[in-house]
Amino acid sequence: MTTIPRDTRDRPAAGGRTALAPSLQKPTPKPRRRLSGRLRVLVAAAVTLLFAAPIYLMLVNAFKPQEKILDNPVALPWPPTLENLTEALGRPDNLIPLGLRNSLIVAVVSVALIVPLGSAFSFYLSRRSGKVKAAVLIALSAGLMIPPQVTLLPTIRILTWIGLDHTYPGLILANLGGGYLSFAVFVYVGFMRSVPDEIIQAARLDGASGLRIWWQIVMPLVRPATATVAIFLTLWIWNDFLNPLFILGPLQGQTITTGLYLTIGQYSVDYGQLFGIMFLAGALPVIGYLTVQKQFVAGLTSGASK
Amino acid sequence: MIRKPLLAACVAGLLAFTAACGSGEGGGNESGETALTYLVFETPSLDAKFWDDSIAAATAQTPGVKINKIVAPSTDRDGYAKQLQQSGQFPDLLQSITPSNFVGAGLLKPYDKTWIDANFLLPSANSLKGEVYIPPTNSQIVPQVYYNKKLFTDAGISAAPKTWAEFLDACAKLKAKGINPIELGGADPFAASMPLVGIISADILGKNKNWLQNRYADKVKFADQDVVAAVSKYRTLVTSGYFDKGALGVKYADSITRFTTGKSAMYPMGSWFLGSVPKDTADNFGSFPWPTDSGDVVVPFVGGGSMAISAKAKDTAKAEKFGQAWSLNTKNLKALIETDGAFPMIKGKTLEDYGVTVTQVFKDSYAYVGQDNNKVNAIGWATNDDALPPGLNDAFYAAAQALFTKDDVAGEMRKLDDAWKTAVQ
Amino acid sequence: MRKKHSGERGLALLAALALVLYLVFLVLPLLLSLRSSFTNENPLKATNEYIGFANYTEMAGDDQLRASLTFTLILAFGVTVAANVLGVAFAILLNRTSLSYRVMRTVAFLPQVLSGVIVAFVWQTILTQNGLLNTALMKIGILDEPYPWLGSPNAALFSIGVVVTWVMTGFTTVVYLAALQSIPLELHDMASLDGVRGTQRFRKITWPLLAPGTTISVTISLITVLKLYDIITVLTGGGPANSTQSTALYIVKLAFTSDRVGYASAVAMLLLALSAVVALTITSALRRREISL
Repeated sequence: MTTIPRDTRDRPAAGGRTALAPSLQKPTPKPRRRLSGRLRVLVAAAVTLLFAAPIYLMLVNAFKPQEKILDNPVALPWPPTLENLTEALGRPDNLIPLGLRNSLIVAVVSVALIVPLGSAFSFYLSRRSGKVKAAVLIALSAGLMIPPQVTLLPTIRILTWIGLDHTYPGLILANLGGGYLSFAVFVYVGFMRSVPDEIIQAARLDGASGLRIWWQIVMPLVRPATATVAIFLTLWIWNDFLNPLFILGPLQGQTITTGLYLTIGQYSVDYGQLFGIMFLAGALPVIGYLTVQKQFVAGLTSGASK
Repeated sequence: MIRKPLLAACVAGLLAFTAACGSGEGGGNESGETALTYLVFETPSLDAKFWDDSIAAATAQTPGVKINKIVAPSTDRDGYAKQLQQSGQFPDLLQSITPSNFVGAGLLKPYDKTWIDANFLLPSANSLKGEVYIPPTNSQIVPQVYYNKKLFTDAGISAAPKTWAEFLDACAKLKAKGINPIELGGADPFAASMPLVGIISADILGKNKNWLQNRYADKVKFADQDVVAAVSKYRTLVTSGYFDKGALGVKYADSITRFTTGKSAMYPMGSWFLGSVPKDTADNFGSFPWPTDSGDVVVPFVGGGSMAISAKAKDTAKAEKFGQAWSLNTKNLKALIETDGAFPMIKGKTLEDYGVTVTQVFKDSYAYVGQDNNKVNAIGWATNDDALPPGLNDAFYAAAQALFTKDDVAGEMRKLDDAWKTAVQ
Repeated sequence: MRKKHSGERGLALLAALALVLYLVFLVLPLLLSLRSSFTNENPLKATNEYIGFANYTEMAGDDQLRASLTFTLILAFGVTVAANVLGVAFAILLNRTSLSYRVMRTVAFLPQVLSGVIVAFVWQTILTQNGLLNTALMKIGILDEPYPWLGSPNAALFSIGVVVTWVMTGFTTVVYLAALQSIPLELHDMASLDGVRGTQRFRKITWPLLAPGTTISVTISLITVLKLYDIITVLTGGGPANSTQSTALYIVKLAFTSDRVGYASAVAMLLLALSAVVALTITSALRRREISL
């Protein structure tokens, strides 16, 4: 939010010089620019490739047998084998399908509940006085900071008291209360600041209730916030490890993260199988990321400018 | 107007859904069956199939019991059992745990002693304050030193070393030939501690069988001169370069492969390693007890066994029945002997009765159990009164890993004494 | 009129529900943890008595705690510096609009998308003793024998640092890219006309405008490392010899495997205080910088 004023602050200073600029402009020789442009692409590509090496290894080696991996881990998988993938899918413990299913349930239900809760709370808050709002926001910011290890054991105890220990509802409840909710509230409060007061006043004069204004007027206006919250929380809850490991426990079936840890953590599977399993486990979030990439970056941008 | 009930319905629906997917998975007693949870652990030899088969066999003998298997994420099933206990889901049956960790809080139920006495060669092998929490179905030697005969010959070593001096000499010869003398799976804490278990068992417990009882009585300490001197032998091995420099990065499972494929000449490990000796090259492997200064044989012995029963099990009687059936099932024992190198301890049965085919190195190693020799309770592995206090195993393992890189033996031993003090407080 | 009231109540109800969840699953656990830190609660010994500040005084002499704090702080600051420097460099390098750059930007964020468990397993196959890195380095003759990337305390610290930096760089790069793209292009054009080039241009124009991005990515990097659990658990499990046991891991070990719940709670309070101090000082310092620029 502060970027906008900053830009306008900088612009006059820069703009003052614009008048001089055109006359001084010397066109850069075209060939040189193209050359440096090409060099830049090459450098950027090399750096990106190096950076992506572990992902590249996961990708190509998922389609290679063990000997070929050890022989040359960076070679392209030719001819590719699907054996690693079929073996991973055909495991008697159903690691991949069950894990994906369980993770999906937890992530989708948690997010579907956090979004309305967080947004309603933010809307309610945004209409309170500045002092109340600031105080509540400070209290909530603690939620973003507290290491989950600090609250883990008491959370399990509380769930035990209400009879939801080691259940999916219990895990989902724990997700609702912690830092995820704080994150949602922070994003929404930022966006709701930009909802014009007049619209709400007008709706109010028309006799619309608070609930209705929130759901029918505010929610559509803060859709980008909803996208940001939904995307990031889905990813974080999907990738969560500590909560499912301890709160869900071993008997309710594993999420994909704890499933990987509990089944292949302990003795050496061959690399081909391991990469095959990792490939399958990682494919879904990556596909998801690729489809909503624009909103993803938009979400981060709004975060970075706040 | 229309939206409000819709929203309410959505929220209600989601809550109902979460409730439904929670309740659907629990319980599991459609036909009056008792569902019991059973904590097991997987190793390269005790794989998922072994557990499933053995559970199926024992379930067939105990009608009305349904077993839900829980697999520990590492071989440290004591740690995982505590973790489960702490988060309120202590299993009903627990395979090969250390009972002393749990009896303090009254978490375990002992087995019927007449049944134990009637069925096992050493009924008191696992006895803890007079009670038996784990049927002593089999025993182990932790560690023995396994060696590669061909590599020994290559290095010009004619016989398996008996004394510490001969052992060092063998190491030196191997190293001179460019052969890595001793394999160590140091990334897994328990495996990292094997040489230390051997040294302390042989040099300290071999001379004073009551050392651990004395330690409990505070009459001796780890920081005592004799222990420090013994542990310094481990430093000698490290500083002489008799382990792979990167041994702390080698996982236990990898250390087995490295040794059996000839990457190292010797491998101090619990006798369960015998199950991993490759059948086709078995004749190439031999074993000897951890060497002592004098060459006298000391056998670090562990009365291993099957499963403990939770005192809070849903149905302790049925749980005990299942435990008994599992423990006496010769098929389970056969699998344990063949794949996990277990030395069977069931009364009135010889190896032949199990119908097993075992390697020569297994027979030679097993012989130490029957022989009349100096058996001590292997430190850190005993499941009887000589078990370490709860939590001390971790400290012991950490010391073993630390001493791979640090020279301060006395300091590490003092830390063990401190940890002991905290543990028994 | 009636409708309005019920609607008003409906909204208040939803907001209250959110607040209750927050109180029950965050504030209450915190208070319980605080209370427990003054007890000798230990379920395996069936003790649970008030012991005053004994846990807190015990922390002063706890070598494992000190080692874990040192490890955590080195890792946190090391990763934060590395991931932010790399992130800025990467962002500047990739701040172009053509398709190839867009593809590269997409790739740069991928480490953030994969779970820590997957990341750690993949890196483990690379870094373990007979892993892909050692195999490759030995094949091309750089190493004669495998290097213990995870098998010696210092190397393991370094390796974990590399892995976590890798993950965090995905995040910082995108944040800095976003910040860069909010810099008006004319500004750069102006600058080049004024003859402001290279490092000077970076110092005078790019860097100040990245300030809000710096605040968020430094803070998030620090907090992420302070509560990091999955990557270390899978990669080294805290070993060798507890040398990579972060304070977060130590708390979980104390609470769940050593069963020293009371003491674990006290250490948790320390980590909480540490996170708060680090987050607040860094954020306020960076915010001040943002304003002063």
